[in-house]
Amino acid sequence: MTPNDPTLWLFLVLFAPAAGSVLSLIPHSEVSEWVARAAALLTVVAAVALLVTGASVQWGSYLGIDQFSEVFLVMVAGIYATSTWYSRRYLRSVLHPYLSTSTYYALLSAFALAMLATLVVSDLGLMWIGLEATTIASALLVVLERKSTSVEAAWRYTIIASAGLTIALFALILLYGATGTLNFFRLDASPPSLSLPIEMAVALALVGYGTKAGLFPMHTWLPDAHSEAPSPVSAMFSGVLLPTALYAFVRVYRVLPTPVPVALTDLVLAFGVATALIAAFLLQRQRSFKRMLAYSSMEVMGLAVVGIAVGGIALYGALILLVAHAFAKSAAFYCAGNVLQETGTTRIDDVRDLRIRAPWTGAAWVLAGFGVTGAPPFGTFLGELLIVTGTLATGNILLVTAIVVAILVAFLGLNSQIGRMVFGSRPGGEREVSQRPLSERGVGFAYLNVGIALALGVVSLPYLTGAIKAAAALLGGSVP
Amino acid sequence: MALVGVGILLTALYLQAESFVAPLISTVALQSLLLAVLLGWLAWTEHSVDLAVVAGVVVAIRGIGIPWVLRHQIRAFRWKMREIHAARRVTGHALAAVALAVIAWFVFEETLGPVFPSPSYALPFVLLVQGLLMLATRSNTLVQVIGYLEEENAIVYAAAIFASGFPLLVEVVVFLDVLGVVLVGVILSIQRDVTGTLEEGQEETLSG
Repeated sequence: MTPNDPTLWLFLVLFAPAAGSVLSLIPHSEVSEWVARAAALLTVVAAVALLVTGASVQWGSYLGIDQFSEVFLVMVAGIYATSTWYSRRYLRSVLHPYLSTSTYYALLSAFALAMLATLVVSDLGLMWIGLEATTIASALLVVLERKSTSVEAAWRYTIIASAGLTIALFALILLYGATGTLNFFRLDASPPSLSLPIEMAVALALVGYGTKAGLFPMHTWLPDAHSEAPSPVSAMFSGVLLPTALYAFVRVYRVLPTPVPVALTDLVLAFGVATALIAAFLLQRQRSFKRMLAYSSMEVMGLAVVGIAVGGIALYGALILLVAHAFAKSAAFYCAGNVLQETGTTRIDDVRDLRIRAPWTGAAWVLAGFGVTGAPPFGTFLGELLIVTGTLATGNILLVTAIVVAILVAFLGLNSQIGRMVFGSRPGGEREVSQRPLSERGVGFAYLNVGIALALGVVSLPYLTGAIKAAAALLGGSVP
Repeated sequence: MALVGVGILLTALYLQAESFVAPLISTVALQSLLLAVLLGWLAWTEHSVDLAVVAGVVVAIRGIGIPWVLRHQIRAFRWKMREIHAARRVTGHALAAVALAVIAWFVFEETLGPVFPSPSYALPFVLLVQGLLMLATRSNTLVQVIGYLEEENAIVYAAAIFASGFPLLVEVVVFLDVLGVVLVGVILSIQRDVTGTLEEGQEETLSG
């Protein structure tokens, strides 16, 4: 194996977080922290190297990636790295953690490993196992802060996500019964003809993987888990876990021959639009800023599903949206983590004057808010614009109206609330308390990620933009 | 074997109508054992080592292991012997279960019936829906674990009869069971440590 051999990097992208997970168990918090940080950085190097080689790699019957996987690998590795590095600041302010520092880092790396494993396998059954492993690795992370609400959220997350994935497994069983294989390279090479079991499998996969991706009405675990998990973990949930579940769905959806039957396209569109609209309106009613961010993630997943179903340029838009959102949303959660740790509250009404108390965090939060809601010139704006453009081309004005309404409502709702927290002031006597300056350690990671989300919309990022285009073309989308 | 399938369906319906946790545990263990009998028979007729291993795993973990852990949890929480909410709505649950079973049967027959003509093919699908109903309508965490076990049984049942030779069947079954053990052992313990309760009760705090 040489550095030019993508197989080397393919193994490294799994080996680094696996080693990080095992070695982090060393019962010395400082050592396990640095081990996890090093493992995360090594994972980023391996994922970027795979992106640079740009090749489709197959190793044996079970391992294999294409450009679609490579884009997601970089996304997962990137958020894994920034969350790991940001965790140091966050963990120091958790008073009575349920997990030791070593266990936390071991589980964080295991969580990343499960997502990366989902992305590097070519067998849909193994992909399912990888996604199910994310539940096992991440459920315990949710209870870090030893609150009864955290335990409740972890339980709901485990039981609902697992129930959803059981439906997805049922879909895979039907698919295997109809095609005789679960290897997506083989399915691509010789697409099966359309049959009732395959249509049923796709419909069940939508419900099953959609549960993990937070699609309405199976989303009920999502706001609880995102709001109760520690912020670096919430960043990984929102930024990369939900897209990884969508990735698994797209792999099953691709089995359908083109043109995709109208009934199935409509079904996928219905789930996407309903998710985007309902999340956008629910977002307005939230009193907790972490729950608000969770509903915003749901809205973005809904839009991405619309892009996937519409296809063409909208599919390309969906991929850009997912990548840019991952970086912007993780930045938003890092800011939320800083505010939560310093103020001890997630209530929007209790947080004011961030422009004075924490100017760097406040500014990053405003930028991240714009980033996640698709303000120009962020990558999310480009993604949403392409999805709307692609949808317009279908001539379905009702659909276009629905997604534009969802985008606008989410934009106004989220940014007005962040605006209140950053620029709003408390009246009268409470003002003195609210002027206490807050620590802003770790906010650099928010700027880093929000910068990537911004760059995606402004410039053609070396390799990444090209890989997103290649992935869109591979999936049957069109690229401008 | 159709008789065993019907037996599995009856256990699923009984699970919906029972509010005491101990009989629920015994019933899901019985359901797992019936499934193991079916798998053993299929392993014998198809000369499949995979199915035989799966039958063994089902007996060991779902028929004996997890029910033992659940019974232990009841002993730790005597007051959790009965799910009060379910006891009040037991007739409704039973009717909903029967109605849903009929609907699931018709949905299966309408969509996949032409491909899988034997009526017994619909049973795993009906079982899956029953497991989901249990997860959706019960608030006691022990009962939710039982609903999850029922879903696992549905998956193994489906894999055995729909997709003979389903790859990684043994691995998937073991993985599901590992998850089951993690669910039962770890999270319930944390729940006991932190909250001292096994019922969902934080809805208001979590409602945003």
